[in-house]
Amino acid sequence: MRMEVHESPAVTVERAEKVYRHALLGRTQAAVRDVSFSVEPGTIHGMLGPNGAGKTTTLKMLLGLVWPSGGTFRIHGQDSTRPAGRRGLGFMPEQPYFPQHLTAAGALRLYARLADVETDAIGTRISGLLERVGLAGRERATLDTFSRGMLQRLGIAQALINEPAVVILDEPASGLDPVGQRDIRNLMLSLRDAGVTVLLSSHQLSEVEAVCDRVTILNRGIVAAEGDIDDLLNVSGRASLKVRGFSAGLPREVARHADQVAVSGGVWVFSVADAAVRAVVDAIDDAHATLVSVTPMRDSLEDYFARLLADSAREVTRS
Amino acid sequence: MIARVGSIALGVIADSLRRKVVYVIVFFAGLLALAIPSLPDYGVGVQAAVFREVALALSYITALVVALSLAANRVPGEVERRTVYNVLSKGVGRAEYLIGTWVGMFGVIAGSVAAFTAIEQIVALITYQDAMWRLWQGALSIALEMGVVAAIAVAVSTVTGPVVVVTASLALLFAGHARSTLVGGEGALALKPLYPSLDAFNIVNPVAHGSGVPATYVAGMLAVFVGLTGLALVIGVVLFSQRDL
Repeated sequence: MRMEVHESPAVTVERAEKVYRHALLGRTQAAVRDVSFSVEPGTIHGMLGPNGAGKTTTLKMLLGLVWPSGGTFRIHGQDSTRPAGRRGLGFMPEQPYFPQHLTAAGALRLYARLADVETDAIGTRISGLLERVGLAGRERATLDTFSRGMLQRLGIAQALINEPAVVILDEPASGLDPVGQRDIRNLMLSLRDAGVTVLLSSHQLSEVEAVCDRVTILNRGIVAAEGDIDDLLNVSGRASLKVRGFSAGLPREVARHADQVAVSGGVWVFSVADAAVRAVVDAIDDAHATLVSVTPMRDSLEDYFARLLADSAREVTRS
Repeated sequence: MIARVGSIALGVIADSLRRKVVYVIVFFAGLLALAIPSLPDYGVGVQAAVFREVALALSYITALVVALSLAANRVPGEVERRTVYNVLSKGVGRAEYLIGTWVGMFGVIAGSVAAFTAIEQIVALITYQDAMWRLWQGALSIALEMGVVAAIAVAVSTVTGPVVVVTASLALLFAGHARSTLVGGEGALALKPLYPSLDAFNIVNPVAHGSGVPATYVAGMLAVFVGLTGLALVIGVVLFSQRDL
């Protein structure tokens, strides 16, 4: 994979707008309003939102597939609504489809040529990519014999054929079995390790939570939340502690701060406020007990997402 | 740009072969072979001229069927199945995509007409011991006219579906051959030079009954072909460039 050093954000979307106009009735409907976000190089950035939130429209505007009503769209500083600005980009659409008469290698060869890949490099790149996405040995199979999951894998290979610096994946794990989903997660992580920027649109919140460094959540065409995953989810302000060796029960200093206390097989599990962690750890030392783990308590992305949408719905009802 | 246009064109040609376009050619060639015994027996010279006329007519229908079957659903199908996303996201411009699509179609049309003409020549050699080389002038005119029809169909298909594409293309084809009827009256004479006529491609009489057309006429046909195809593709690119996919 390409490892170029870029100072500026890999992807920049500023004040994106898309308004659809009904040709006959003259009615307008805003699908995307004032959406801005940026993706740092070498990170995995998630785009989340319920159906109709504007994710796909925003991605399509970034890819020059839908004309924006306003805003700017840049990939490594270049206007991505123009063909030249998309040359260093890989894109896998949701449920990718290919001409069925092609073989797997034939399809990749076609896209390699379209992406101006040097002719000498095409063969080795195709075999390397097919192996990477788990389709080794299927080079000569025609695509009408491929399952949905195999087409999904080929879609990812297609997105990577030009060794892009930025990859946009729309629901990459859709239609894959659990092993395939894990493979895709590992692939995204390996891309990030190689310095590739990944913009991931997905409904699979566990997948996003597992791989993304940062997320942008869209709802009703606007940015409802944006930030590092850890910052967004670590909102409880509490930590969970696991301790072994409290033979005489909880020491007074620990008991003063502990909540949700549970004991099983001599292991005590309880939560304390972040501000009290230091004092509690000292008390555990004084009691000669063993601190097994300290884990920040945080929301799951699913809980956070559901709460955000519920808050948004309440605001709309109020207004 | 040329490499990308060429890659798209090759994809269209490969897809056309999968669609078994060759069956259409074989079908019409078979019709031609069946038609020979039913030709009136006027004497060898007249019968050969009638053969050339029938051969050109069948070649024309073959090319029209091939052109419309290729063009009607190519762009709408790629947009609907979203295969066009894979292409455009690679930095391919919409103009390159449309031109490459048309070049591929024109390649298939020209190949079909050439194959059909070669079959006609073989039949003529066997039946009349005459290679009838001037049939190739007719083949060229048919290929060029169907190239224009394909360009019109591609342009229309950027904004609408297959049924409208076929209807509009046929309507424009007929209108293209009806200049003297549609703008032949005194009041419309001023419009006549501006009317995009396809009559330049109609060389059935000189090919079937005469000794063909001179090279200057062929050059004129090529100029009309370039002009009308270019106009149709420019309109197609403008329409497609404004479309949300």
